[in-house]
Amino acid sequence: MANDPFLMASDALTDSGARISELARPFLRFLPVSGASISTFGSFLGAETISATDARAGRVDELQFDLGEGPCWDALVNRRPVLEPDLASTSRVSWPAFLEAIREEEIGAIFAFPLLFGPLEIGAVDLYSIAPVSLTPEQQGQALALSAIVSRIILRHAISSTDNLPDETTTFSRRLIHQATGMVLAQLGTTAEDAHLVIQARAFAENRPMREIAQDVIERRIRFAALTEPGPIL
Amino acid sequence: MNETTRLKLLFDAFATFADTLVVGYDILDLLQTLVETCHDLLDVDSAGILLANAADKLEVVASTSEANTLVEVMQIDADAGPCLECFRTRAVVSLPDIDVGSSRWAAFCDTARAQGIHSVYAIPLRLRDTTIGTLNLMRNERGELNQHDIRAAQALADVATIGILQERTIRDASTLRDQLQKALSSRIIIEQAKGVVAETANVSIEAAFDLIRRHARSHQTSLSLVAQRLVTRDLSL
Repeated sequence: MANDPFLMASDALTDSGARISELARPFLRFLPVSGASISTFGSFLGAETISATDARAGRVDELQFDLGEGPCWDALVNRRPVLEPDLASTSRVSWPAFLEAIREEEIGAIFAFPLLFGPLEIGAVDLYSIAPVSLTPEQQGQALALSAIVSRIILRHAISSTDNLPDETTTFSRRLIHQATGMVLAQLGTTAEDAHLVIQARAFAENRPMREIAQDVIERRIRFAALTEPGPIL
Repeated sequence: MNETTRLKLLFDAFATFADTLVVGYDILDLLQTLVETCHDLLDVDSAGILLANAADKLEVVASTSEANTLVEVMQIDADAGPCLECFRTRAVVSLPDIDVGSSRWAAFCDTARAQGIHSVYAIPLRLRDTTIGTLNLMRNERGELNQHDIRAAQALADVATIGILQERTIRDASTLRDQLQKALSSRIIIEQAKGVVAETANVSIEAAFDLIRRHARSHQTSLSLVAQRLVTRDLSL
């Protein structure tokens, strides 16, 4: 298993010390695609391409932002992957401007995977191939798994690079946060680490101290719905 | 409770401690038993233990009520109150009437009073040169704790302290520090486990701790182990 390209890719991500600009490259290791780009957008983080393996991957993202349509938008809004294995013969009518615009690029296939963390919309991964190509169900599952890792890395990075959140320095505050973490992990069926991140992200999004969010959770004013996994592929 | 019954319970408590020390124990469970014994046998309404963490700051590690209100009182006490004074001076601090001490420790006295606490007695957990934390006894009545209770509390605190320290006399001081830090760190898992049970059993945080404690007791296992299994969802209460 040591040579499994997917495991090598996920290891590369976990080991990379979360270098944001390098997040796209591991997708090329196990998928039959030519380029990848990762962007943040949606209700939570500002619209920005944070990592692209090549100039064309960057343009695929840029066009979608400029035009306000395209696979990455659909992937995030619908919370499920978008697969276009053969762009030349697609019958899709949903992105007329985007399809028109990328005709100049040599792109045979395009795929988009949503970046989600629980209820939070983080962004999307765009993948393209010069020649038409299909992703096997296994490859789709692996791309989703890697996207989940990427979502956490981006979220952690966003949270840690803000100075809006003071450290929870008092012992008592931390205690409340631990209790709330326990409640949230039970609500979401997730790990303590992810539950903590959910609370942290909520505090970040609302620009409030974590202790306040924790208190709201404990007093049952805030309840998190179970993590929605990306839905079936259309 | 008459005096004979009380003495019998006190002997039982010492016997329990002795047993625990002989067969090996988890520091957290030992301290939890200590606060509960104080609460059951002495004329006190609540009790708690604070241990010094690696940064020499006191943290609540066990208390008779896991209600956040009591824990908060003690944590404020640890920042500026009789408990901190007790730890620093390594001597007993008695505050028989919080209304009289209120100018020194205003924040603590206000919070304590709001919880109905009117007198406090803090005992250092100390053996010769080493002080690891404090035992805090709180009463809703004003006035000094009676002499019998003072002696019993001191003896219970000493036995627990000796128990914690004796195992490690041949090892270095950092090992003790590691052990105490470990006890404090397992509080993190216990807090998380309280949250898990509060959510899954739909009970208060305080009631959740009682369920965890009861489970640990009836299965003769440690609080930390039960908490760990709850957090990883291998166990549900």
